[in-house]
Amino acid sequence: MPDPLSPIGLSLIAVTLPLLGSVLSALCGAARLPRLAHMPAVLTFAAAGVISGYVLFTLAGGKDPLSYKAELGTWFTVGDMKVPVAFHLDSLSLIMLSTVTFIATFIAVFSASYMKGDDGFARYFAVMGLFVFAMCLLVTSNNFFLLVAGWEGVGLCSYLLVGYYYTKPSAAAAARKAFLVTRLGDVGMILGIFWLWKFGGYHSNIDQLVDHITHQPPAADQITLCCLLLFCGAVGKSAQLPLYVWLPDAMEGPTPVSALIHAATMVTAGVYLLARTAPLFALSPTAQIVVTIVGGLTALLAAFIALAQYDLKRVLAYSTVSQLGFMFMGLGCGGAIAPNIAVTAAIFHLFTHAFFKALLFLGSGSVMHAMGNVIDMRKFGGLRKLMPVTHATFLIGSLALAGFPLLSGFWSKDQILTALHDAGTGRSVFHGYYYTVYLVACLTALMTAFYTFRAYFLTFWGEERVPHEAHGHAHESSPAMTIPLVILAVGALAIGAVVDPLTHWFGHFLERSPVLHHADEAFHKTTNMSVGHHAFNVTVAAISSVLSLAGIGIAAMLYRKGGPEKVPTVLKPVFALSQNKAYVDEVYGATVVLPAETAASGSGQFDGFLDALARLISFIPRFLGAVLRPLQNGLVQFYALGMVLGLAVFLTVVVLRSGR
Amino acid sequence: MIPLTLPNFTDHLKASIGYVLPEVTLVAAACLLFLLACVRGGRAVSFVIALLGVASAGTVAWFVPEGVVPRAGEAAANAFNPAFAPIDPTGAASFIRWMALVAAAVYVFLGWTDCKTAPPEYYACWLVVAAGLSLVGRSNDLVTLFLSLEMVSIPTYVLLYLPAVGKTGQESAMKYFMLSVLSSAVLLFGFSYLYGITGSTNLHAIIAALTRTGTTDGSQPLLAVVGGVMVLGGLGFRVAAVPFHFYAPDVYEAGPTGVVGQLAFVPKVAGFVALARLFGLLSAHTPQLGLPFGVENSLLPLSMWVIAVITMSFGNLLAIIQDNLKRLMAYSGIAHTGYMLIGVLVASATPGEGVARSGMDAVLFYLAAYGLMTVGVFAVISHVENPDRPVESVDDLAGLGRTHPWAAAAMAVFLFSLIGLPLTAGFVGKFNLFVAAFEVPTDTKMRNMYQILTVVAVVNAAISAVYYLRALGVMFLRAPLKPATPGRGLPQLAVAVVCALATVVFGCWPQPLLALTSKAAPVPTPAPIAYVTSTK
Repeated sequence: MPDPLSPIGLSLIAVTLPLLGSVLSALCGAARLPRLAHMPAVLTFAAAGVISGYVLFTLAGGKDPLSYKAELGTWFTVGDMKVPVAFHLDSLSLIMLSTVTFIATFIAVFSASYMKGDDGFARYFAVMGLFVFAMCLLVTSNNFFLLVAGWEGVGLCSYLLVGYYYTKPSAAAAARKAFLVTRLGDVGMILGIFWLWKFGGYHSNIDQLVDHITHQPPAADQITLCCLLLFCGAVGKSAQLPLYVWLPDAMEGPTPVSALIHAATMVTAGVYLLARTAPLFALSPTAQIVVTIVGGLTALLAAFIALAQYDLKRVLAYSTVSQLGFMFMGLGCGGAIAPNIAVTAAIFHLFTHAFFKALLFLGSGSVMHAMGNVIDMRKFGGLRKLMPVTHATFLIGSLALAGFPLLSGFWSKDQILTALHDAGTGRSVFHGYYYTVYLVACLTALMTAFYTFRAYFLTFWGEERVPHEAHGHAHESSPAMTIPLVILAVGALAIGAVVDPLTHWFGHFLERSPVLHHADEAFHKTTNMSVGHHAFNVTVAAISSVLSLAGIGIAAMLYRKGGPEKVPTVLKPVFALSQNKAYVDEVYGATVVLPAETAASGSGQFDGFLDALARLISFIPRFLGAVLRPLQNGLVQFYALGMVLGLAVFLTVVVLRSGR
Repeated sequence: MIPLTLPNFTDHLKASIGYVLPEVTLVAAACLLFLLACVRGGRAVSFVIALLGVASAGTVAWFVPEGVVPRAGEAAANAFNPAFAPIDPTGAASFIRWMALVAAAVYVFLGWTDCKTAPPEYYACWLVVAAGLSLVGRSNDLVTLFLSLEMVSIPTYVLLYLPAVGKTGQESAMKYFMLSVLSSAVLLFGFSYLYGITGSTNLHAIIAALTRTGTTDGSQPLLAVVGGVMVLGGLGFRVAAVPFHFYAPDVYEAGPTGVVGQLAFVPKVAGFVALARLFGLLSAHTPQLGLPFGVENSLLPLSMWVIAVITMSFGNLLAIIQDNLKRLMAYSGIAHTGYMLIGVLVASATPGEGVARSGMDAVLFYLAAYGLMTVGVFAVISHVENPDRPVESVDDLAGLGRTHPWAAAAMAVFLFSLIGLPLTAGFVGKFNLFVAAFEVPTDTKMRNMYQILTVVAVVNAAISAVYYLRALGVMFLRAPLKPATPGRGLPQLAVAVVCALATVVFGCWPQPLLALTSKAAPVPTPAPIAYVTSTK
């Protein structure tokens, strides 16, 4: 049991607080005080945020490796396998913990106003508390079993919150889709964990397991397979190709949920998983290039689809998919340059993305709130005078997402682009691939700037139009909603510059994690390349600035006057393709769903046969039961006879057998 | 057969009185209650006295766990050899004692409605039963073992009879009485063989003698095996193993609900523990000796194998076509006895040859889990039923989810646990038993019989889901048959909720209970058979 005032003790308190909040919120609902249900959630998230922030600041500075471990007892033992309740606090988990609790606090404040008067108010905050707890558990556990518990916990909460309006068929379907599609990836991940368990000397703690494997690495193709299986889980959870299809549909949930779960936190769990297991990936450059390529393709495809969407939230959803793709591109660079650069770039982007994407989602929630739950950009426009705060903060978020120079998103995206560029020009065997992905990333950056500002101009510029669903009182949202927007906007504006390019604090802090240290060692052993450090590349930065400005410029040219859509005739087919989500849903329908349905109906026929057979078999126990039933005839003399006869049979058999 | 020369029985009995102080406390509280009955004490007073009795027994057990060890220097102490004392506080003794104490407290609550007719007598009988159960866990002598078993049985006859209002209730009490006496007779018959063959009533001495007489080719004296089969038959009644189970459905159906809740659990624990002690499986002193009825030695494990298979299959088959809820629980109890016999059988496999667990630890865990869920089911029935709305058939549960949401939720937990779904104690229990059986090496005389047994058990567990799930469906998916009546007793609801919570907690975090059971029944470490007896 750790000292409650030690860093790990404080962090564990921060982990458990949201659970307490969840229970209290649920009790508020049960005690017929649903209007107070947001209080426990907001207060516990804030307390957790303050505590983890405090731990972060006390531990910042310093140069020593940063790693605290604690075991709270044994969860269970089966034979030789012992699964402890083990936690691990290093720079990686601390950054994740602080980000999650910090963002969650403001989203909870926003939600309290956004969800006011809803029937499921208490349910909403109870599940949200559970979600934050599961997410914190996921990032602090030092044990694959606990990690999976947190992983499935966030999945469950995501299911519950996407299906929050469960009476709406589309919401229920989206929730089911989100759960099932991510499950597909989880299957791979769990297989991967079991394989790792086998190679890792049957340790269930991640640090011991990784240690074991890096010292006695199995054959290259085996470790590659393990890593790719783990990556399967990440692909599902972090919405990468081919499993990204659930994320856009998940926008059926309340908008603050999209901000918290489907932008800032849960979907980054896959990135965290890969960062946490970076030493294993460092053993397999092949797995790394796969990660980069999948990330690149996802980023490109999602950005392309986002170009022509009319639903504001869907634009943001696809941009999330695309930005997650960027993070994976960055992670994959660990195979060609040092893992510490790659992981730092990815986690840095995760960190800044959490701010500006949560901001954008909350901004769109604010718009949606004012427009009477209408989110189709064709139905409103020119809102900049009507909603000045929302407009200003949304603009900052858009600039950050577009990678406008000197804003948060610019710095983190630049690190990823630099990493890709260095990997592409380095001496890795895969450098050609890396360079191609670098070009793809540049193209995606251009598209990102374009679609972000297309959405921005369509919503806020041009002639002021308000849908009739707003019932004529469209207005700026209440301070409870705008204050979180302003705070997140400050983060989106400056936090990127402050924590890394100016102070290099982020990179140095993350480097103190033993994970990155091990990963660098493993990388050096595997590839024989020296471990470098991140260096600012002026050319890359200049190119990305130009691309960003170009994207914004094209969008301004086309949409400065607001809607409706004006597409040059030449590009009409491209737009149609984008608008129809590149027909991916249809392709999946034809290649996966239809054959599956055909097979299912065939199986259905066969099942009818089996059913009859099963009914026949299930008749056997009933039949035997009916045959045996007369034995229980209620006559005590018969019972006594039965007992004695039974005994006699056993005695006879025993005597006869032992006589032989 | 050379009878072993043993230290004086009465000396040892006197010396080991210190090992049974909590049981003495329980019986003292029972005596107080019997006295109270003379002045017609009320229900609340009896309830409080009974609870206080259990609490003080618990306090004594907590602070004097090992009892008062005979003082050195006394004449008795010089000849005192713990292995030959009639009371043996090692092995699973303290686990069983705590189980008995917890059960006693739970049953005091559970009997709240049943005890109306004669509360002091009712609770007094409870306490004697609990004391008897605890004593079974530490008896090291045929005499004390038999007395402890009867301390469980005789008050049970009274308990069945006291609240019985109708003819059927009285009939079932009579049935139980007669058949129980018959089984005691069979048990005593078996005891007489064991005594006759070894010349001692001390379990340690009996096991030592039987192990020593086992020759290198593994044969056992036939009379010993006959005695073993009789013991199995006599105790088979208590654990409700086929073909000694006949009483169970009739008695469960007509008996008072609270008492049936006890009948479903306490005699099972007593039976299994007595069986294990007689076969040398649950004492710290015996492992050094090897097992008298182990697989290498006799036909007894094979008989147990057959009984286990018949018992679980019979119980499940008859439960499937059963509509009466309490009869269904009786058959379900029979089936669970079959599962638990697996553990005893595993424990009788030759220890030390790659056996990773003792088997008995799985049985102890399963007994605890089974107790939680079965007692919980009867607590729910007792809470819900009342004269206007008797709960007899499964259909009477219809709509429980709406009329009694808490009771229904608890019932759902118990049914899931009885099926053995994950995250319940029932799952962990079944998992332990089945894995223990599956891991037994196949190079013994039983070959792969254990693996076959596991398969049979798994098939049975699947069949059992049918009738548990049917009850579950009736509770939540059907409309109530009769208008809702408020639950009858809050104490029973409290028992149900506590049992449900414990079922889930031990299902999610079984480690504390697993640690206790594996401490109570550790993997035996066989020593070469170099037996030295202390003679006078």
